[in-house]
Amino acid sequence: MSAESSSSSSSNSPTSVANMNNVSALFQTAKKYEELNVIGTGAYGTVYKARDLHNGGQIVAMKKVKVPLTQDGIPLSTLREIALLRQLEAYKHPNIVRLLDVCHGGQPLDREQLVLFLVFEHVEQDLDCYLKRAPGPLSENRIRSMSFDILSGVDFLHSHRIVHRDIKPHNLLVTSSGRVKLADFGLAKTYDTDMKLTSVVVTIWYRPPEVLLCLSYNTAVDVWSCGCVLAELHLRSPLLPAATDTQQLQRIFRLIGRPSEREWPADCSLPLASFPPCPAADLRALLPRAHPQAIHLIQNMLVFDPAKRLTALDCLQHPYFTDNPNL
Amino acid sequence: MPYWYYDKKDLQTTPSFQDAISNETENRYRKEGARFIIDTGSKMDLGYNTVATGVVYFHRFYMFHSFRTFPRYITACCCLFLAGKVEETPKKCKDIIKVAKSLLTEQKFGTFGEDPKEEVMTLERILLQTIKFDLQVEHPYGYLLKYAKCLKGDKQKLQKMVQMAWTFVNDSLCTTLCLQWEPEVIAVALMFLAGKLSKFEVVDWNGRLPKHTAWWDMFVEDITLELLEDICHQVLDLYSPQTQASGGESPPPGAAVQPKNERKPLPVTPPASASPVAPVAAKLNAPTPIKNGAEKLLPPKMDMRFYPPYVYPPVPYSDYSAPPPTSMPPASLPPPPLPRPPLVFQEPPPPPRYPQVSVPPPHYFAPLRPPPPRPYFPP
Ligand SMILES: Nc1ncnc2c1ncn2[C@@H]1O[C@H](COP(=O)(O)OP(=O)(O)OP(=O)(O)O)[C@@H](O)[C@H]1O
Ligand SMILES: [Mg+2]
Repeated sequence: MSAESSSSSSSNSPTSVANMNNVSALFQTAKKYEELNVIGTGAYGTVYKARDLHNGGQIVAMKKVKVPLTQDGIPLSTLREIALLRQLEAYKHPNIVRLLDVCHGGQPLDREQLVLFLVFEHVEQDLDCYLKRAPGPLSENRIRSMSFDILSGVDFLHSHRIVHRDIKPHNLLVTSSGRVKLADFGLAKTYDTDMKLTSVVVTIWYRPPEVLLCLSYNTAVDVWSCGCVLAELHLRSPLLPAATDTQQLQRIFRLIGRPSEREWPADCSLPLASFPPCPAADLRALLPRAHPQAIHLIQNMLVFDPAKRLTALDCLQHPYFTDNPNL
Repeated sequence: MPYWYYDKKDLQTTPSFQDAISNETENRYRKEGARFIIDTGSKMDLGYNTVATGVVYFHRFYMFHSFRTFPRYITACCCLFLAGKVEETPKKCKDIIKVAKSLLTEQKFGTFGEDPKEEVMTLERILLQTIKFDLQVEHPYGYLLKYAKCLKGDKQKLQKMVQMAWTFVNDSLCTTLCLQWEPEVIAVALMFLAGKLSKFEVVDWNGRLPKHTAWWDMFVEDITLELLEDICHQVLDLYSPQTQASGGESPPPGAAVQPKNERKPLPVTPPASASPVAPVAAKLNAPTPIKNGAEKLLPPKMDMRFYPPYVYPPVPYSDYSAPPPTSMPPASLPPPPLPRPPLVFQEPPPPPRYPQVSVPPPHYFAPLRPPPPRPYFPP
């Protein structure tokens, strides 16, 4: 690391820090990675494929995030989130993408923003790619194991009080051996600091009603999104594609049925009447090949009231996973 | 992931050493920097966790940089500033600088440069890079309380022992112990030391198994008595007159722990009554004129080692005959007003929350603010 090697190139008298532009090498630690190409551009940053020059040229994925600086330097929320990500890393959970390093680049004396690099293990492809490339329907066992991987990762995050908030096939990585790992979480507050690239397409297909209705939300959002993803494993195309927030809600209600007056949250600014009444659709008809227990599981994840949704842990203990599949 | 533990040789060939700063001087700088963080933090009512985190950052930072390149007091400020944010007890940079100014001589504050706040801000990024964004640091305090909870024996003596161990943990921040051993090990060692000094002999504990020869076997594997003694001596060296005199000979970490005299071989299978800690017990009890005549083993200059030069009010050292105050080193460390463990040590002991440090629960749980509506582009 350049921070280490530069330590002995000191000046003779104690100098003040601002005079040390010559230690700008300190800021260039991202240099120990050679960028190869852009893998993807998300709403909050760009992901590069890169080579770790200090580790035998190992291929890594580097996410570049711009963090606006405040009066008091790096925002507390960003520091907390990085600290937590690093702490989580200690568990080396099999369904969480490995965070290998964190460093920063950019101009040393830039007072406006900090350019952060989060260095992750490189995983072959994301679930979106995987599903698009699949030659035909996935086998029941493959679906079950991928579903379990996703829910295990989510349960792990929830047990550490992290809400992913953006579970979707793009953020689920599939290893060469077909295991799924969660990516792109834990920086919700950092992302909220409006460094968002507004030109980027953001999908709303995996959003639960409470988010679309701008109500407060919690870990149950991730269970909803997982429900959509699990269905997608069967369908190989999105379960609930829609164009606007309102259309998304209508799409949802056409699947799960419009909630009753009694279920409609009191603190909701939109009246229930703004949605046409409709009964629930039959999920079995939509996913004709799916195992009955898979249907039951997904149905209980896609529940309007977040409090009545299964938790990620409930899901893991669902008969779909615990029953012997061969019976 | 970064690994933050070093052996003694690494600690002697630091960037500062390679920059022509002697180990003695470097150790003094480290001690002064750590003490300054403790003092500044205490003055600003920061909790022990924040202060300790700041000190650990400080020690780690100088494993990569020389004290010549980065003057210690401004680095110390920056470490405390960053620790405040990470531990969710943030303090404004300018307020930290204000307190620093009040604690430092004009000359020392001069190293902060023309625009101290700007310097600290710039340094923050160098610090982050140097500590590799490894921000979450564990400290011995929590382990101390956890371990104490399992020990059986006289409640009052136990409480006294825990309080003493706590102050040793505070003081251990001035050593490089956090660069050598995990917090669990430091907690065990300093409880062991406090047990000796407060004459709290642990003969039984909850969760004891036949294979345990000492209580700490339950928590940390393969701890040897040599290691415990080594750690205790590194802390006790802080109180020895030689290291007190500024600029005086301060042994490098390695030297401090060389066996000072012939040691009895460690008992292999100590029965619970013949405490497994006997050899050290003899040494540690030496200053107190007691039956076993163990003081013969100790060179006279050793005497001071076993007496912290100050007494914390809730920790009556009166149990053993303390040396007269006049024999205290003149430059004795002022008692850092760091938080101490609960005065009343009940069963189960209260969580490590004294004094109240307002740590809000992590913000990762409900309810979160919904994200702003996002633009949509047809796929
Ligand atoms: N560790 C990784 N290994 C391989 N590819 C990755 C890795 N992390 C991310 N990617 C790829 O980079 C793409 C872009 O990621 P990024 O998170 O920036 O955008 P996104 O997920 O599409 O959008 P958003 O920012 O809204 O989450 C992902 O879709 C994924 O394909
Ligand atoms: Mg993403």
